[in-house]
Amino acid sequence: MARPVAVDTVSAAVLPLAAVRPHPLRRFARRYPLGAAGTFLIVAMLLLGIFANRVAPYDPVAADFGAMFIRPGPGHWFGTDAFGRDVLSRLLFGARTALVIGFASSIIGATIGAVVGVISAYFGGTTDLVLQRLVDILISFPIIILAMAIVAILGTGTINLIVAIALSFIPRAERVVRASALAIRATVYVEAARAIGAGHWRIIFRHMAPNVGAPYLVMLTAFLGQAILLEASLSFLGLGVSEPTPAWGLMLSGAAVNFARQAPWMAIFPGLAISIAVLAFNVLGDALRDALDPRLRT
Amino acid sequence: MRRNAAWGGAPWRAVALLGLLLALAVGPAGPVGAQQPRSGGTLNYIVEAEPPSFDAHRETTFAMLHPIRPHYNLLVKFDLQNYPKVVGDLAASWTISKDGLTYTFKVRQGVKFHDGSTLTSADVKASYDKIIFPPEGVISARQTTYHMVKTVTAPDPQTVVFQLKFASPGFLENLASPFNWIYKAEILARDPRFYERNIMGTGPFRFGEYVRGSHWAGRRNPDYFVQGRPYLDGYRALFIGSPAAQVAAIRSGQAHMTFRGVAPAQRDELTTSLGDRIVIQEGPWLCNNIVIFNIKKKPFDDIRVRKAVTLGIDRWGGSKALSLIAFLGPVGGIMRPASPFAMKTDELAKLAGYNRNIRAAREEARKLLREAGIPEGFSFTLQNRNVQMPYEPVGVFLVDQWRQIGLNVRHVQSETGPYLANFRAGNFEAGVDFSCDFVDDPDVQLAKFLSADLSAVNYGGYTDRQLDLWYFQQARTSDKAKRAQIVHQFEKRVLSDQIYAIYVLWWARIVPHWRQVRGYKISIAHHLDPDLQDIWLSE
Amino acid sequence: MSRYVVTRFLLMIPTLLAVAVLIFLLVRVVPGDIVELRLVSGGTYVTKDVIQAERARLGLNKPIWNQFVDWMVGLVRLDFGVSMWSGDKITHEIAIRLQLSLELAILATIIATVLAIPLGTLAAVRRGTWIDQAVQLFSVAGLAVPSFWLGILMILFFLTYFDWLPPLTFTPLWQNPAANLAQLIWPALAVGYRYSAVAARMTRSAMLEVLREDYIRTAWSKGLNRPVILWRHALRNALLPVTTVIGLEFAFLIGGLVVTEQVFNLNGIGKLIVDAISHRDYTLIQGLMLLVAAGYILANFIVDIVYAWLDPRISYG
Repeated sequence: MARPVAVDTVSAAVLPLAAVRPHPLRRFARRYPLGAAGTFLIVAMLLLGIFANRVAPYDPVAADFGAMFIRPGPGHWFGTDAFGRDVLSRLLFGARTALVIGFASSIIGATIGAVVGVISAYFGGTTDLVLQRLVDILISFPIIILAMAIVAILGTGTINLIVAIALSFIPRAERVVRASALAIRATVYVEAARAIGAGHWRIIFRHMAPNVGAPYLVMLTAFLGQAILLEASLSFLGLGVSEPTPAWGLMLSGAAVNFARQAPWMAIFPGLAISIAVLAFNVLGDALRDALDPRLRT
Repeated sequence: MRRNAAWGGAPWRAVALLGLLLALAVGPAGPVGAQQPRSGGTLNYIVEAEPPSFDAHRETTFAMLHPIRPHYNLLVKFDLQNYPKVVGDLAASWTISKDGLTYTFKVRQGVKFHDGSTLTSADVKASYDKIIFPPEGVISARQTTYHMVKTVTAPDPQTVVFQLKFASPGFLENLASPFNWIYKAEILARDPRFYERNIMGTGPFRFGEYVRGSHWAGRRNPDYFVQGRPYLDGYRALFIGSPAAQVAAIRSGQAHMTFRGVAPAQRDELTTSLGDRIVIQEGPWLCNNIVIFNIKKKPFDDIRVRKAVTLGIDRWGGSKALSLIAFLGPVGGIMRPASPFAMKTDELAKLAGYNRNIRAAREEARKLLREAGIPEGFSFTLQNRNVQMPYEPVGVFLVDQWRQIGLNVRHVQSETGPYLANFRAGNFEAGVDFSCDFVDDPDVQLAKFLSADLSAVNYGGYTDRQLDLWYFQQARTSDKAKRAQIVHQFEKRVLSDQIYAIYVLWWARIVPHWRQVRGYKISIAHHLDPDLQDIWLSE
Repeated sequence: MSRYVVTRFLLMIPTLLAVAVLIFLLVRVVPGDIVELRLVSGGTYVTKDVIQAERARLGLNKPIWNQFVDWMVGLVRLDFGVSMWSGDKITHEIAIRLQLSLELAILATIIATVLAIPLGTLAAVRRGTWIDQAVQLFSVAGLAVPSFWLGILMILFFLTYFDWLPPLTFTPLWQNPAANLAQLIWPALAVGYRYSAVAARMTRSAMLEVLREDYIRTAWSKGLNRPVILWRHALRNALLPVTTVIGLEFAFLIGGLVVTEQVFNLNGIGKLIVDAISHRDYTLIQGLMLLVAAGYILANFIVDIVYAWLDPRISYG
């Protein structure tokens, strides 16, 4: 039995991974209804986010001091906030912020992590030893604390938030990919490639990289959900993006909590949006993992 | 001397009459009912942050005053029922020489420290020496406030004399600073840093316990020098940072009140849920939010741009809207509106940006921006502090206002650390700054705007010797009308002629407390609270 | 075996040292100055001299390497120094909050375990049925709902319907268990739900793995009854990875507490971390970060040792 390296949700989600083969898409939906539902939600979110400026009934940033704290109802489906801004419009534009931060940080974090992981696994020896010690150090801090520290250094704002979240993902991605890459490195065809005199980089990119694709993908999905949660937590602590940028975590911090009694919709809807988005990414990640992991196939 | 002295042994009728008058003065929800003060009980109140050290002479935060002040006395203090009247605390009486250079205080007799020793003028002298002439290695945050003091002497055990270098009209009010706690001379001589970690005062309450991060407790001082005081058996200051948790604490009855104040949303939540069990006191607050510019960088090195930016703000409209969602309110200049040296409203209206005709002002703003070569949609960054109330509403409001004159503002809310560091390093374009003090005196209120080499909190980086000159002139002008004139010149130069800073709005203080808390009246500064000597619980 | 333990133990030292160096450097590049925060953030007027004097007193004007050496020399003697903000010993600052956070963590662990193991097992046994889907949804939702939002909703609910709030000050368990639990059970639930989600997923996949093992198949074929197979054979073997995840999550629970303690205004380590960072209390941040990292490294060490002990296939090289 393998000793779990899982230390957090992300790794736990991708834990039982081994070498994998792709699986036809159309069987996916039938086999993994939750995963399909997740995919549907994600696509919906993407579309709503991309077309937010067409879908949203109001300007998400413009304050309207004549329309503060309007209850949900026709006109303002999700009510208005303390500045008279339409909550629904802010949620829609907030999807954009969440997705931009989520995708950017996850892709950067997972990719850098994967590259380092493959390199570490392929070269082994001193390279591996040094890289693993570095990862050891970074991984001994909980993600949120590492991200907090990085935001403290870089400052708040969208770009810095992306960097902070991506950096916190790197060591975790590295661990997961390195494990898969180690398994592939030992396989016959990598040895064969080496035997016919293929160069290091050729082997890495032609043979190893495609084969860590599956764990990479599963990890990426898990990171996406995690990134949205992290953004929300950091915003809640006042370390996220700044007002008046529409962002879910920000909508949930400060004002929403202060006005929670008077205008509960200000706290409820963004919280729901975060939960649903993260849920969608998580169920998709689970379905992908199940689908891509042959050992779990019934 | 003190108005409250009538409360101690006065006949019931007199008390009732006084109570009635006070109740009328503060309205039907007044804090003082027609009831005999009752002894006993523990007051639980919220403190929004934690004291860094216990030594008031070196700290500047209210978070140190609120839990610890009840252990100490001042020489003189503000009469909170009649601010800005100054009354004696440890001083029984005082005289000021004709030339205004000599202040002679008589210290009360029979005042005892919590260790049983008797207070003498030597203790007062030692405390003020530490504040004004701190020994090597000892920090005094208000050393320069008393730059007019030549010597402090104690010619006999009952007398303290302050000898000034020049007559200073604001001196007595500055002495009433709530930070000037009187310590014990003998201890200070032994270890001038003793008070950073220990408590030994003469105040109405003795030290109970301090659980860091949780609460600070004090218990009644049975040997307190005012007969029959304090009324309370003890108090407990609960450290609660989050505004939501603060309201929850009051709502659930775990705390009676918070002295610093709450936002309108919290007030409304408390009144709807607690009804007549809660009393709300509202009043002016000696704190404000201002906008500062980096005068050395483009585009704010251009006075036309700064002027356009101030013209673009609808202060009067903003005051109305923001007062509903934030503890913001009055429109004013550098001196707090309605304070002794404040400009009259019609005078204020002549300053740039204070005109009620916002359409015309915005038109002019756009014209100025065009003249200065600022294109439509020009963007700049506004640095703000990531403290929700009231910085965030102020920031969102400004962004929205400036959008209406064609400016695209990036609002950056940073932690207080980098926020101050960026200001200090001149690493900003424009920023939401603040000031918050406990005395209306222009010596304190204007100091921020002195040239950069004189003021540690002038982040704009300008040098303006005219302002410096006026500052030092007003500080020595005893005639009130003349002094006001200089102060107004100063204000006009900062706000309207040079536009080094924009006053957005002054804060408005809202203090909620449970009905049974009596004997408290809201003051203009949370720093002046809490004087627990006179507060009592009716149930 | 003992050689493995010793080597593995000694390996922790360079990691910890590197962590310490990293923390020290990180803290120094964080913009913001504790002195300014202390003296200027209230808005009252101060002069430059005062700020300079205070910096000198805290030793902040010494060269960086000098400050580092001071810290290291202290660490070697197990002296973590004093907090720059409060002037109290860092060990004391941590000690007064550790009890609350530790208890909260233990409560959350209990909640997580009690929820996760039956649910995860059930899902594995009923794999593919609606029960499995429901359990998966429950646990995947646990990972999706921000625990601080859950906390906010709880507080809102209590206040709206019961006009009640968990006590704000900490009472040790042995003084008054009721008051203690009244305060801590809610944040424990908020954190524990998420935690249980992680554990339930692990239980499910570990059970699935075990259920496919040969000895379980043999047991089925021998006609042993269901509960015996599940509880005595399968679960027992699946528990190892589950306890590992629970153990490692425990070491990392501090991450979840950072936000939750804010919501419930708990005076714990998580809140201390947030405060220390926002105060730029260098010495305290260093001490706390080192504690957090050391806790995790130690947990990992223990897990490694336990695995080595249980699994003869691991060589003790």
